[in-house]
Amino acid sequence: MALLKREEWQGFVRDVDWSYRYVDDDAVFPEWLSGTGKVPREAWLAWEESYKVSYPEYVATQREKESAAYAVKAALQRSSAFDSLTEGWKSATKMHFGGVALVEYAAVLAELKMARFGLNGSWRNMATFGALDELRHAAITTFFGHEFIGKDPQYDWTQKTFHTNDWVAISLRNLFDAMMISSNVVDIAIELPLTFETGFTNLQFVALAADALASGDVNFANMISSIQTDEARHSQQGGPTLEILVEHDPVRAQWVVDKAFWGSARAFAALTGPAMDYYTPLEHRKQSYREFMEEWIIDQFIHTIEDYGLKKPWYWDEFMRGLDIWHHGLHMGLWFWRPTLWWRPMAAVSPDERAWLVEKYPNWEKVYGDKWDVIIDNVNANNMEATLPETLPWLCSTCHLPACNATQSRDGTWRVRDGRIYHFCTNACRQIFWKDRDNVNHETLIDRFLAGQIQPMDVGGILGYMGLTPDVMGDDPDYEAWTKDYAGRPAEGIAAPASAGTAQS
Amino acid sequence: MTAERGAEDRAPELVPLSAIFATDFVQILVPVTTANTMAEVAAAVAHHVEGKRVRALPYDKIVIYQGERLPGDLTVAAAGIKPLDHVTVEYDIPERS
Repeated sequence: MALLKREEWQGFVRDVDWSYRYVDDDAVFPEWLSGTGKVPREAWLAWEESYKVSYPEYVATQREKESAAYAVKAALQRSSAFDSLTEGWKSATKMHFGGVALVEYAAVLAELKMARFGLNGSWRNMATFGALDELRHAAITTFFGHEFIGKDPQYDWTQKTFHTNDWVAISLRNLFDAMMISSNVVDIAIELPLTFETGFTNLQFVALAADALASGDVNFANMISSIQTDEARHSQQGGPTLEILVEHDPVRAQWVVDKAFWGSARAFAALTGPAMDYYTPLEHRKQSYREFMEEWIIDQFIHTIEDYGLKKPWYWDEFMRGLDIWHHGLHMGLWFWRPTLWWRPMAAVSPDERAWLVEKYPNWEKVYGDKWDVIIDNVNANNMEATLPETLPWLCSTCHLPACNATQSRDGTWRVRDGRIYHFCTNACRQIFWKDRDNVNHETLIDRFLAGQIQPMDVGGILGYMGLTPDVMGDDPDYEAWTKDYAGRPAEGIAAPASAGTAQS
Repeated sequence: MTAERGAEDRAPELVPLSAIFATDFVQILVPVTTANTMAEVAAAVAHHVEGKRVRALPYDKIVIYQGERLPGDLTVAAAGIKPLDHVTVEYDIPERS
């Protein structure tokens, strides 16, 4: 029997569906999982992906990708490439491995939910491929990070991070649980493939791959490039879903996009921002984080959502202002609270690096330079205890990141009284919390601390609660690199060593 | 019948605050008690920041709560500051004539 041609069979295998005789459609696709909302059930019949793939094609392509990625890895394993990487770049990779490996696993669950509860056969088909993609991503990321544990125990956090109560892990769990685990599939398709993957992983994977190559880390570039090729395919689940939702419920469509974009932007400011503008060696930086955001996120993403008839999110001005401050504040916070990290954050504020920062962010010196100068003077006075934390930063009740946006109001008005007081890092975090508060399901580290869940109630207790052990706790890899040029200058108004009493003035 | 006891008669209770010091970049958790004065609250907040991220200045420090500058001898209880409230601590820099 001759094989049918692709075009003769693909049309009816890609969207196989059933008519149910024993159960109602509602029982098979319950609202809380399928989330059709105001969209009539039959409207989903129009769902169609733009790039079609069959299972044999999928398997053949994935096999080639896997073979290529592991062949490069095997070849590099025998070289000394890892040893020549800078500490800054290694930190960027540790952050990525720990922050991403198990998010990929959460994405398997999200794709599987769409593969079961998606409202059209072809959507469920695409999501099945998506689940296989994400399984590969979780595996490849965990495996690539695992290789380095013998050289550096911080890489153990590739697999460990999401099993701890480290504040970075709590923040990421809060974001991705809302995006992938507790959402219905319509919201998932818009939050995850459309907003997060189309919008943000472009930045993380394409731009960071370029930085990886510039830093000499061929292995890492190879891994994330291999992953990115999958994203491009399964992320197309967002478009057809959004198209149908916009037609029937544009208000919901706009809200879901806005919320997911904001949460993604906050997380990227914390992780990708410092990696690009501080951890990547100066000579290897191609663009600033802001420039990357403008090129890869803002232009492309706004163009995309406007094509679907949506508007810029309501918080757009606040977001754009944030491109000049969020990640600088978060970098300083990550550095000051460095014992809470599984990587070695480098301050990267030598005169040359500061000149670059000012060129890219004209207000940088004015907003952050004075604080780094005090830290530098303490390092040069060998007063290291003044550079280490004795309390927690206040954590935002929405994004769980430190409330550290220097240009925001400080009058304490960003809160809601809902039986208690909440504080937020930004206006949009407050607005999202208020509108979405039934969906907020993680307590911040501050909440946990004040509820007595963290014992003893001191820095040691907090570090223990976060799962940090002395062999892993973050520290600056090279203080001299960014302080030596300032040594010997007059340094007034710095803290006296604890034994000597209060601050000098 | 006994007279209701005022806040000042009770044992000091813990009041964790969200606080920011002068030009610092981040709000921090600072535990104080109902019995602490504003001068003590200012010192407790400054302890984490002054000379560590914000260069120390030779001026007194004041607590600002809900937009109001509070007297240094006022207690947390008397000021009505509640757990999780936000306070700002600033230097009391004399205005130049």
